[in-house]
Amino acid sequence: MNDHGSENNVAARLRGLTKRFTGFQLGPLDLTLEAGTVLALVGPNGAGKTTTLNCMAGLMVPDEGGTEVYGAPVHPARTEYRQDIGYVGEESGFFLRWTVRRNLDYLAGLLPGWSRERARHLSERIALPLDKPVSKLSRGNKTKLALVAAMAHKPRLLLLDEPTTGLDPVVRAEVLDLLWEIIEDGEHAVLYSTHVLSDINRLADELAFLRDGQIVLRTGRDELSESWRRVSFRLQQENVDLDGIVEHRRVRSEHQVITRDAEATLQQLNHLGAEAVEVARMSVDEIAVQILKEGHHVARTED
Amino acid sequence: MWRALKTEIWYFWPWLLGGLGIAAFVVIVLSVLVRFLEQGQGPPVFVIAMFPIIAGMVVSFVAQGYRIEERRARMLLAGPMTPRQLAWVTVLLPVCFVVLGILAVIPMIGLATLITGKFEASAVPMIAGFAGQFWAYAQLGPLAQESSAAHRERRTRATFVGWTAFAGAILILVASQFFMHRISGHFGFVTASVAAMGVAAVLYQGRTDFTR
Repeated sequence: MNDHGSENNVAARLRGLTKRFTGFQLGPLDLTLEAGTVLALVGPNGAGKTTTLNCMAGLMVPDEGGTEVYGAPVHPARTEYRQDIGYVGEESGFFLRWTVRRNLDYLAGLLPGWSRERARHLSERIALPLDKPVSKLSRGNKTKLALVAAMAHKPRLLLLDEPTTGLDPVVRAEVLDLLWEIIEDGEHAVLYSTHVLSDINRLADELAFLRDGQIVLRTGRDELSESWRRVSFRLQQENVDLDGIVEHRRVRSEHQVITRDAEATLQQLNHLGAEAVEVARMSVDEIAVQILKEGHHVARTED
Repeated sequence: MWRALKTEIWYFWPWLLGGLGIAAFVVIVLSVLVRFLEQGQGPPVFVIAMFPIIAGMVVSFVAQGYRIEERRARMLLAGPMTPRQLAWVTVLLPVCFVVLGILAVIPMIGLATLITGKFEASAVPMIAGFAGQFWAYAQLGPLAQESSAAHRERRTRATFVGWTAFAGAILILVASQFFMHRISGHFGFVTASVAAMGVAAVLYQGRTDFTR
């Protein structure tokens, strides 16, 4: 799999990461996340996204392989890597009966490098109700609190496990705005797991598609948009064998295909003498759906 | 570690106060009733002592449940704490609550003595027996929790060790019931409690999943 960054530019590296459960195996995963990169881990429910992030955050011990964060091996028994990680998961371990302010005060004493100033700024920026008990917060506000808690100690790597899932559109936009502001300085590496495909366009530089515990494709977002096309054409022959085709529909002589290699497909169509060729761009969301639907057909990219 | 332990005790402090408040209410009602119904006799001192100790034990179970539900390990593992320190916080919490319950025995007995005007110093060994017994019950909670976690994580040996220790502790507890007011019984309760604590702490450190 993709394993390209130089050692000192690598924020996180997964080497043969494997975790087994009854009826499911994650990995072995090999993945490199470079500093300053936002990588979206895209996959359906049960694909292994949360397990991957839990292993990277040191909350789970893999059965085989492992993770390094800025060169430090990740393991619950070790602590060197923790200051570099900010983790936002579904549950963040807060004292639910205590107020937001009290939880943040506790974290200020717990986490080395915690900046009260930054916590205050972030809380104000997203209008976090500081004097409300955590148990009384809405889902959106709980996510906001988790984001503040994950970022106030200025980690270099953010692990975000579906931070926008279940949020209403307004809160979702606020959370995405905040994330965008945080990562636009280019200093943070972000691994962002999601099955909300519309988030991808906003944040991700690169995408890794996870399906049944395996990464079926890792690619750049722009590269993906450039190579995938929906092509319709007219051709008399019934069976058309084209390279890079992931979906093919035909009504009489009208064909409609989805290709992951538009250039090759168009050359072949030209060679076959296809008529009325029309090429349409696909959104990243549409492409992602195709990849996850047809994951077993998609070749893995090697950089 | 001590900071985390102190914070947890502080977090569950309202439950402990509530539990001790209920215990005090029961002690007062019982003392008044027995005084009037039994022509000046008070309730046995060991019965008075049971209520605050039980309150401490119940709060330790409440704390265990809430810490699992609130996924506390996730927060603490974001900081510089190691699984070993987390394990000690988990197994020391029941001791702390039971000890606080035992400390509350003194004012409870004082309260009952004020109402009934009677005090039996001879009940102290029996009170110690009850304290040891309830401490052992409180310590069985984390042991059962860690044995279940080991089973969930498919750590066969740890599961076997955990449930064997649990069964062993129960057997010691049952045997010690017959010697409640004697040193041998007290020794049995302490042995069961310390063994449950130690095994739970070791199992916790061997966890492969700290998300729950």
